[in-house]
Parts: sequence; structure tokens; C-alpha cells
Amino acid sequence: MEYLLHVLIMICIYAILAQSLNLVIGYTGLLSIAHAAFYGIGAYSAAIMSLKLETPFLLNLVCAGGISSLAGALIGFPSLRVKGDYFVIVTFGFQVIVFGILNNWFFFTGGPMGLPGIPQPVIFGWHISSHIEFLTLAGVLASVVFLISHRIIKSPFGRILQAIREDEVFALAAGKNIAAYKVSVFMVSSAMAAIAGVIYAHYISFVDPTSFTVMESIFIISIVIIGGAGSLWGPVIGAIVLVTLPELLRFIGLPSSIAANIRQILYGGLLVAFMMWRPQGLVGKFRFRLENAKK
Amino acid sequence: MLQLAINILVTASNMLLLAVSFMLIYRAVKFFHFAHGIIFAWGAFFAYMFYKMLNLPIALAIPLAILAAGLSGVLIEIIIYQPMRKKGSTGLVLLLASLGLYTVLQNVISMSFHDSTKSIHSGQISNVQFAGVYITTAQIIALISSVVLVAFVGLFLQKNKFGITLRAVSNSTYLAKISGISVSKTYIVAFAIGSTLASIAGILVAYDVDMTPTMGMSPLMMAVVVMIIGGTNRISGIIIASALLSVLLHIGTWYIGMQWQEAIVFGGLVVFLLFRPKQLLAK
Amino acid sequence: MKNSFLEISGLNKSFDGVKALADFSCSLEQGKIIGLIGPNGAGKTTLFNVITGFIPAESGRISFQGIELHKKPAYKIANLGIARTFQDLRLIYQISVLENVLLSFRNQPGEKLSNIFFKPKVSSKHETNNKKSAVSMLEEAGLGDKLNDSASELSYGQQKLLSIVCCLASGADLLLLDEPVAGIAPAMIEKILSIISDLPKQGKTVIIIEHNMDAVTQVCNRVIFMDAGAKISEGTPDEVRKDPKVIEAYLD
Repeated sequence: MEYLLHVLIMICIYAILAQSLNLVIGYTGLLSIAHAAFYGIGAYSAAIMSLKLETPFLLNLVCAGGISSLAGALIGFPSLRVKGDYFVIVTFGFQVIVFGILNNWFFFTGGPMGLPGIPQPVIFGWHISSHIEFLTLAGVLASVVFLISHRIIKSPFGRILQAIREDEVFALAAGKNIAAYKVSVFMVSSAMAAIAGVIYAHYISFVDPTSFTVMESIFIISIVIIGGAGSLWGPVIGAIVLVTLPELLRFIGLPSSIAANIRQILYGGLLVAFMMWRPQGLVGKFRFRLENAKK
Repeated sequence: MLQLAINILVTASNMLLLAVSFMLIYRAVKFFHFAHGIIFAWGAFFAYMFYKMLNLPIALAIPLAILAAGLSGVLIEIIIYQPMRKKGSTGLVLLLASLGLYTVLQNVISMSFHDSTKSIHSGQISNVQFAGVYITTAQIIALISSVVLVAFVGLFLQKNKFGITLRAVSNSTYLAKISGISVSKTYIVAFAIGSTLASIAGILVAYDVDMTPTMGMSPLMMAVVVMIIGGTNRISGIIIASALLSVLLHIGTWYIGMQWQEAIVFGGLVVFLLFRPKQLLAK
Repeated sequence: MKNSFLEISGLNKSFDGVKALADFSCSLEQGKIIGLIGPNGAGKTTLFNVITGFIPAESGRISFQGIELHKKPAYKIANLGIARTFQDLRLIYQISVLENVLLSFRNQPGEKLSNIFFKPKVSSKHETNNKKSAVSMLEEAGLGDKLNDSASELSYGQQKLLSIVCCLASGADLLLLDEPVAGIAPAMIEKILSIISDLPKQGKTVIIIEHNMDAVTQVCNRVIFMDAGAKISEGTPDEVRKDPKVIEAYLD
């Protein structure tokens, strides 16, 4: 039972990560391999604050979101000048730098040893300790992130993001300040990723750099793409599928020594297969076209 | 001081070979083929397999490894990228596929060879010491091979017809096609040469230090950065860029420590991208 | 003295040494339709790109309703009340016809994130009103049955029509239309021309680039003939057609 709840909690965490990355990749058409970095910034902010300052959960949540969105602005700015593959490399660099900080800045992050003993959250006297309570918390936050994304996408703001994805020249000629939109979507998306990080840190009660690597970024990208980039339900479905599939492999008796490898082969392979045969993902409407689509 | 110069030279030559191999492929296909980092690692692991596990003589094991890894690069193009291109996939779709490929292939290595650190050379590597400078024979071999290979590629691109074909395809696949050039063949040749060079680079690094399944990631990123800074048109640009980056890397690690080298490289890249002349940004 | 509506003086721009605009000047009154004609490569589209801020001029000045446009970014110029279409027909093809029009309205409250969450009523009311006017504009243009089709599903002529409706939705005072009727069926040409010729009644000013001289003669009050980046002749369509300098330029 606890195992099932654990899987559901992880689905919620990845649904948040994928939903937020979808705003950037699926709706604005900017491919970023830095999402695990924002996830990590959120998790470490919560860990450091609750361990060193003993701050309450909600304050951690707000501060982590704020810190992460400032970092998101940092990466949003290059997107104004650097396009396509080159932008991918810049985000990659950001990911590597953040990982380097988590791994090397012993004083704050504990280096490769990580930070253990993160306390369980207390929200207005409600002490969250059991799996079912964590699932409630994660479920509520995932729904909030979903609703915020929904509102953004259905608004004129969301329409502009889609215009930027397809044709920046058209958006400029229609009087839209593309720079401001790109930076703000990055800020929102990074703040949301930090929420997932905060839940993760308090739930696992331990953070270390290996949870926030480039491979993790690629995993989140796979969830978005396989679920369906540029659709609201795509990331949710992607998270369910990609978190559950490797768990199913356990039941067919795969030795645990290669389970991690098989899991990565699975999502890497799915990413290739979907790009080849179904670029729009499971439920996406749009073929994943990032460059200016000309009919 | 001389020691520092030698170290910078060694680092630069390591970057150079992989960067040139990456550039050859990028010029043709125009997307970042991330799985190239795996070909680099595969070169080393094939060499390990033939030499250490199958006990073939090194004079046979190394060429076989280069052949096998080079062929894998070509197969990736033929089996994965080519069909996708036929369906009209854009460059970034191909890039995503290459990220997936990278993930799959790296784990294939790690499952087949396990994650423990390995090395190709047996026993102690001999050092050469002169005038107070310290350099390993492996580094000398790497340095000389890189310089010779890159010079050879440079000459090949200038003298051979393939150089012209590649330039034509790089400028416009459409124009290349109507002037009778087989674009898909050009891609395959670019992958063949690029993958061969990358596997040699991998073997050289593995011979000098050691090897792990993830050994391709960081060198590939440095190669990409070198290519962005040096430009995709001239090998001379790549040479200058690898020298510059190598200097930056050594000075940087001297001041703030070895563990920050990737941060230094990417910091350098971001500064370059934000301040480089405008017309280069057209990309 | 009253500022003229659009005042362009001494524009210069060259690409790789080839002059696209050579000391180009002109002055426009409000509420007129001006045809911009000339051979290919005369610099007509470049002029549009310079006015709308997509390409910087090397020298010269442009003032629109008394406001200097020099060095302003494209989106700011668009928000001052200048809308344009593109020769290579730009639309957002993956979203619906209606959404393309909605996108073109300027200064919507719902374009700001803070408004979506903290003033949802204002944004949604504004959106509802925009939707109403967008639907009526599309119905008037004869695209009323295509509202929810994606823009890529329209015919080429309908797409050109849609791009003009988008300009109208922007509420701009100056419309720059780049080849609005090139390459489309005669019935659609009539439709588009009738929409264009109605614009001055709403106080709008239009510059059209067009090679179809019949169309130009039909709707334009004045015509500017450009060659090699310079203004060769200006006047009524008939005057320009008979201008010996124009005839000479075409014979070259």
C-alpha cells in the first residue's frame, strides 16, 4: 500500500515538473535542458532553509519559488539573443553549473554527501508524516500548478506564447514584447519546478546532487514529449506513464543492479521512438515543431 | 611556466580533435548530434573490449575499435536520423532524438561493462622529463595524433571533392540537390569521418587517463563550446578556439579549482554568446 | 503647421553594398490609399521593414503622427498604430482563425500575467468584447464559418484575407499591406479590394505594395513609383503611368 502511495506521490511531483516545463517547451517552443536545475534549486532551498533556519514549510515553498524564478530569469535573458540549438547549449551549461554548485559548495549544500534530516512539513498545525498525507499535499499542489497552467494557457498571455512558438516576427508585428514574455514564462516555469523540489525534499527528507542531473532534465523532457507537448493533459499522462512503466519492470523480476539502466534505456528509447513515429506525443495535438512552421 | 604551456597544449589538442569531428557532422546535418559523445566513449570501450577482454594484439585491437565505433556513428545516421529527416523532422526534433539516443547508448555501455573505472593501458605509463617539464608518453601520442589528424582533415577538405560537396550541402541542401549532389551520401560520409575521429579521440583520452560510461558527456560539451566559439566554417577557427578555451580552463582551475572547470567553460560560452558580433547571431 | 501623418525623409539602407533605399523621402496624408509600385528589388518591402522597425535604416528619419520612430523596437512601433502584412504571408497557422484575430488586438489586459490572476474579471470581460468584435469582423469578411478552423486549413486567398482582418483588429491607423492580392482568385481579389477601399472612411491610411496595376488603379488615390531605392515619380495612378521617367525605368 505504501509502495503504491509512493508511486502516486512521485507521479504528482513529475506531473508538476512536466507541466511547468511544458509551458516553456510545448507552448513557447524553447527547448531547455535545465529543468532539473530549477527542481534542484527548489529542493535545496527548502532543505537549507529548514535545516539552517528552521523555517516552516509554507515559507520554504514561497522562498524556493522566488529564488528559482530569479534563476529562471537568468536563463530567460539569453533566449532573447540565442536561438535554436545554441540556446539548448546555454540551458545545458546552466544545468551543469547548477549541478557543479550543488556538488562542490560544501558549506551550503553538503557536496556529494547531500543534506540529510530534512524535517517533515507542518502546515498550520497539520503535521504531514504519513504517505497518505504526503500524497494529499502533493496532489493539492499538483492540482494548483495544473490550474495555474490552465489559466495561463487559456488567456491572451498563453495565446501570445503560442504565437512566439510559431512565428516571432508575426508576434512582433502584432505589437507583442517577445522579450518580456519569454522571461516571464521562464520565471513562472522555474517557480513551479521549485514547488516540485520542495515537496521532494520534505518527502524524501534527504537531497543530494545526483537527483538533479542532466539525465533528470532529459527525463522530464521525455515526459513532456511522450505525453504530448503543447497540451494541458499531455504532461500529466506522460508522468503517469513514465513513472509507472519502470515500476512494472520490477514485477517481472528484473535484477535491481540494472534496474536504473533499464529505466533510462526505456525513456531514452521512447523519446527516440516518439520523435520518429509520433512527435505530437500520446495526447498532443501539435506535431512537435519548434522552428517557425511554414505550412 | 613551460609546464603550464605544455598542459594547455595537451588539453587543447584533446578538445581539438573531438571539436573538429563534431563540426564535420554539424556542418552537414545542422543539428547538435549529442549521441556523438557516445561514439567517443564507444571508441574507448571497444578498444577495451578487443584489447583487454578478447586479448587481441594492440595493433589489431585499436583499428578494430575505431572501425566499430565509426560504423556505429554511420548506423545511427542511417537507422535513426535519415528516416526521421524523410518525414520532415526539424533540426530540434532530431536533437531531441539524439538526446534520447545518448541516454540509451550510455546505459548500454554501463550495463555491458559496469560503471567501474577502467583503463586501456597496462601497468605504469612511462613519463618523459626534460628541462623540468613532465609529460606522459600517452599525452605525447595524443598531442601528435590530434595535430596530424586535424592537419590531415584540413587538407582533405581542401583537396578532396568531398570538401566542396560538404560546403555545398552546408550552404543549401536544396541547391546542392539540384546541382546533382547526393545529400544523404554526404551526410553518411560526414558521419563516417566524424565518428572515426571521435572514436580515436576517445581512445586517446582513455589511454591517457581512464574511462567510465559517462566519459563522453563533458568532452562533447567542451567540443560544442569550442565549435560555437570557433565557428563552423574553418578548422583554423576551431584551432584558435580550443587554444583559447584551454587557456581559460587552466587559468580558471588554477584560481578557483578543478571541480569548477565545466562552470568555467560554460561561463565563457555565455559571455561569448552575449557579446559576440551581431551578424554571427543570425544562426 | 500641422504635422503630416507620416513623414519620411532621407532614408538610406544598403545590403552588401547594394542600395535598397537611396535617400528615400515621402509625406503622407491621413485617410488615403497609396500604392507603392516598382520593379522587383526596388526596395518596396525594405521600406515597409524600415518603417515597422524590423530593419534599422542607416540614416534618415521617420515620424508617425509626430512621433519619431527611429530606433524604436518593432513591437513599440506596432503599438503606436502601425499594422502590416507580409509578402510571404505570416499567420500563426497552428491556432484557429479566431485566435489569430484575437491575438492582433493591442493592449489587452489579459496579456499581463498579473491581470490574469489578480484582475480576472477585467481581463475576461475585455476578452469577451474582443471576441465579439473579432467574430463580427470575420463574418463581415466572409470567414464567419471558419472561426474555429486552424489557419493552416484556409485557402491561400482566405489566408491573405485573414491577415488583413488581423490588421483591422489591431485598430492601427496606418496599414502596410505587402502584395495583398497577388496570386489569388479574381473573386477573392474583388473582396479584398472592396475591404481596402472602405478603409479611408474609417480614417485609416493604407500603403499597398502591388504588382497588379488594375488593382492599384482601382483603389489607390496616389501612387509612388520606386526604383533602385529611390522615389522616381509620385501622383495619381494615371499621372505616374504616363510619367516618362517611369516608362524609362521599365524599359531599362
